[in-house]
Amino acid sequence: MNPKRLLSITRAGIMESLHFRLGIFVTLFANLIYLVLVYYLWKAIYDSSGTDVVNGMTFSDTMIYLILATALFNFLEMFVVWDMSRSIQSGKIVLDLLKPMRFRKYTFWSYTGNHVVQFVLTFIPTFIVVMIVTRGAIPLGLNLVWFLIATVLALIINYNIEMMVAPICLFTESTWGINIVKETIVLLLSGASIPLAFFPEKARMIVQYLPFRAVYDIPLSILLGKSGSDTWQGLVSLFGLQLIWLVVLTVCGNLFWNCAVKKVTVNGG
Amino acid sequence: MSDLSVNEAVVMRNVCKDFKVLNRHEGLKGSIRDLFSRDYNTVSAVKDVTLTVHKGEIIGYLGPNGAGKSTTIKMMTGVLEPTSGEILVNGKVPYKNRTENCENIGVVFGQRSQLWWSLPLIESFKLLRDLYMVPQKDYEAMIELYRSLVDIDPILHKPVRQMSLGQRTLSDILAAFLHNPPIVFLDEPTIGLDVSMKAKIRELILGLNKEKNTTVILTTHDMGDVDALCKRIVIIDKGTKIYDNDIEHLKNYFGSYRTLKLKLADDTWEEYLIDEKTTDVMDVIMEKQKEKKIKDVKILEISTEEVIKKIYEGSAK
Ligand SMILES: Nc1ncnc2c1ncn2[C@@H]1O[C@H](COP(=O)(O)OP(=O)(O)OP(=O)(O)O)[C@@H](O)[C@H]1O
Ligand SMILES: [Mg+2]
Repeated sequence: MNPKRLLSITRAGIMESLHFRLGIFVTLFANLIYLVLVYYLWKAIYDSSGTDVVNGMTFSDTMIYLILATALFNFLEMFVVWDMSRSIQSGKIVLDLLKPMRFRKYTFWSYTGNHVVQFVLTFIPTFIVVMIVTRGAIPLGLNLVWFLIATVLALIINYNIEMMVAPICLFTESTWGINIVKETIVLLLSGASIPLAFFPEKARMIVQYLPFRAVYDIPLSILLGKSGSDTWQGLVSLFGLQLIWLVVLTVCGNLFWNCAVKKVTVNGG
Repeated sequence: MSDLSVNEAVVMRNVCKDFKVLNRHEGLKGSIRDLFSRDYNTVSAVKDVTLTVHKGEIIGYLGPNGAGKSTTIKMMTGVLEPTSGEILVNGKVPYKNRTENCENIGVVFGQRSQLWWSLPLIESFKLLRDLYMVPQKDYEAMIELYRSLVDIDPILHKPVRQMSLGQRTLSDILAAFLHNPPIVFLDEPTIGLDVSMKAKIRELILGLNKEKNTTVILTTHDMGDVDALCKRIVIIDKGTKIYDNDIEHLKNYFGSYRTLKLKLADDTWEEYLIDEKTTDVMDVIMEKQKEKKIKDVKILEISTEEVIKKIYEGSAK
C-alpha cells in the first residue's frame, strides 16, 4: 500500500473524466427528462390511489427518494464490463496486465477519480436542489457521515458485481446481452427505479437481503433516516448487511477475475 | 536451471506454446453448431525455442508474419504462460508474480499505446513515475536524458490522442524506459513510421541502450532497424528457431552472394541476386547485354534485407 500511488491514479482518473465534461452536462440533461417522466408517472399513481400515503410513503417522499436514487446511480455507475470487454477484444488487456499493479486495484482507483467527479458535479448539486425545493425534508446531521460511509461500501460492492459480470461476458462472448440483464436486475432490485416499499410483501422479504439493495437502497435510507436507520440498532444491521455482501462479493469477484486472467494468460484472450 | 542463468537477462529453455482454437463452421447453421462444439484445434505458435539473451544486448527477433514473435515476447513479459519449457527473465519466472516482475521490464507494442489517451504526455509520465515508484531525482535525470536524445518539448504537453502515430510511438518508447528497467521489449516499434521518425527512434533506442545498458529485445520487419541496432539476430519461422548468431556471421554465410544492379537505357535499375559460387557475375552481365543496352553496372554486397529473405525462403521449402 503506497498512498501516493493510489492518489496519483485517482488524480489521473479525475483528469480523464473532466476531459469528457460535455458528457456530464448530457447526463444532467438526460436526468432532467427522466425525472420529469418519473414525476408524472408517480403523480398519476398517487392520484389514482385516492390517498396521500401509499405504502407508508407520501408523494414527496417518493420523489425525493427517486431523485436522489437517480443522482446516486449516476455517481456509482461504472463501465468496467464495457471497458474490460473492449480491452479483451482489442487485445489491449495485455498492456493492462503489464502494469506494475494488480489490474483490479488499478481499475478501482482509476474509477475512483470518476466517482469523485460525478459526486461533485451531479450528486451534490442534485442534493442541494432537493434540499432547497423541499425546504429541509432531509435531516442534516450525523446521517450525512453514515451516508458517506454507506456510499463507499456501496461503491465497492458495485465494483465487485461488475468484476463478476465482466468475466461472465468474457466466457460467454456476449457483452451486450449479459450487461443489459445485469443493469436491469440491479436497477430493479436495488430500489433505484422503484422504492422497495412498493414491492409486494413476499418479494420485499427476499429483495431485502440481496446485495443489490446494498448499492442504492441502504445509502439512501440512511440519508433519509428510513428503514430504522435512525436507531443504532437499525444502523448496525444495515451496515452489517452491506459488510457481509462486501466480503462475499469481493471474494467472488476475485475468484471470477482470476479465472478470466487465467483464460487470457493461457489462451491469449 | 543452472545458477549462471540467473545472471542473464533472458533464458528460455525448450519453450513451447500451443493455442487451442475452436474449429468454427461456416454459415448460420455452422455458427449454431459451434455453440455446443468441443471440436478444438491446436495451433503450435512456438515450438521448442531455446534462447539466451545477455545483459546489455540489443537483439533482433525476426521471422515472417505469424512466426510466433509476438507470442514469444508475450511469454517473456509474463502475459502468456508457456505450455511447456522454462523461462527466466531477470532471473525470475515472468508469469509467476507477474505484477512484481513488471516493475523490471518495459514493453512497447507498436500497434497500441499504453499511455493515457486524453492526458498530456507529461501527466502520463508523472503517473508512471508514481506507479513504478521512481524517485523524483531519477525521474528528473531521465527526463533530462530524453531531452538530450530527442526533442521532447513539443510533445510533452500534447494529449496523446492528438499525437501523430510517430509522436505517439516515440512517447510510448520513452514511457517504457522511464522507470529504467533492465530489459525493454519492443514489438514492431517502427511500424507505420516515416524514414526520419524511424531514424530518430533508432537513435533513441541506441542512445538509451548505451547510457543505461538496457537489454533490448526487438521484433521488426524493417531490416533498417536491424542494421542500425542489432549485433545479433534470432530468426524463427513457424515457431521454430532457425538462426541465432551475429549479424556479421550471417553476412559471411551468404558472403558469396552479390547484388548486381544494371542501369538500362531508360534510366531504370534492375536487380539480380547472384551466388558467385554457382554463377559468374560477368556471365550474367554479358548475357543481359545481348538482350538490352546497359548504361551502368553496380555490384554490391548482399543487404541484410536479402539475407533475411533468403533465410525465410530457404525455410519455406
Ligand atoms: N490468442 C491466440 N489464439 C490462437 N492463435 C493465436 C493466438 N495468438 C497468436 N496465435 C497464432 O500463433 C501464431 C504466431 O502468432 P504471433 O502473433 O506470435 O506471430 P508474429 O511472429 O508476431 O507475426 P507478425 O509478424 O505478423 O506480428 C499465428 O499463427 C497466430 O495465428
Ligand atoms: Mg507480432
